Amino acid sequence: MKRLTRILGIALTAAFLSVGVASAASLGLATGKLGAGSVAVSGCTSSSLTATRNVDNNGNVTQVNVLSVPQACAGQTLAVTLENSSHTSLGAASAPVGTCTGGCTATVAGFGTVSAANVTAYSLSLTQ
Amino acid sequence: MRRFRPTRVRLVASILVGSLGFAGVGYAASLGLGSKQLHAWRQTLTKGTCNQTSTTADDTYVQQALPTSTAGGTATTLTISPLAGAQDYAFIRFNLSGCSLPTSAGADSAVLTVRVTTAGADTISLFPVTSSWSSSTLNWNGVSSLTIGSTATGTFSASSTGNKTVTVTADVDAAIKAGTLWGWELRATSGTAIVAIGAAQNGTAANRPSMTLSYEK
Repeated sequence: MKRLTRILGIALTAAFLSVGVASAASLGLATGKLGAGSVAVSGCTSSSLTATRNVDNNGNVTQVNVLSVPQACAGQTLAVTLENSSHTSLGAASAPVGTCTGGCTATVAGFGTVSAANVTAYSLSLTQ
Repeated sequence: MRRFRPTRVRLVASILVGSLGFAGVGYAASLGLGSKQLHAWRQTLTKGTCNQTSTTADDTYVQQALPTSTAGGTATTLTISPLAGAQDYAFIRFNLSGCSLPTSAGADSAVLTVRVTTAGADTISLFPVTSSWSSSTLNWNGVSSLTIGSTATGTFSASSTGNKTVTVTADVDAAIKAGTLWGWELRATSGTAIVAIGAAQNGTAANRPSMTLSYEK
């Protein structure tokens, strides 16, 4: 009985460790680090880049521009969600970050009809 | 005492490890980790209003018949004329520096109000100006050196006196990002009448141009 308990204990420990490793690998955290207030930070930037938006004359958002995106982010996908005061999505779109020299401005369009007056936050992410 | 066989123990352990491995995969999938998320952040916006009155307005009108005149800069009404050889164009802008908006800010809504003081059956169109001008120096000859959009931002009918509103959100949004609002050229795009609107120097406050502005930053 003692032996069985020991074996089961080792098996459970090994199983939990393997789950941890699998999750870390999925998150790409093997060489990454965690930033306060952010999700996994690794790769081209760890900064909270500034976003602005353009509107049409009706006050609807036509595009979101993320300023000073490092050149190293070229090829990654920038996703933007327009949120209201309850952090509910009013519209979302994504676009690949193009190549450019120095700091790039990445532009995302195609949010549908979203009044800028209702947008109180941008939720942004860079993914590979 | 009953003895466990090693093969049975290995079987139980394998099942446990396998089950937990599947649990790990499900956990990762629920987080949307199919693609590798490298960085995520949220930018919260501040909303506000910064309405403009005659104290921040600058306006003038220029006269084709008097091409070097800058008298429009101190006029109490701005004349707009479509007459061939005697056209008059009005210019209105607001100084937004008091709003303390960074160039990363933007307009949620902007509406210009002018008051027609002399009516006529004209359609008045507003064209965005994106280069600098001053009411003290602008004259007819100087208009050709300004950068003026070819598409009207909006129009209003001057067929009756009273307040006329034009939505100018896109122009003001672009101007905030550019750092300065250079306003609009107002000219008649149909009709044959000479009309007038109140200027910032008008003695009656209600006749002066104004603009409501809601912004985010």
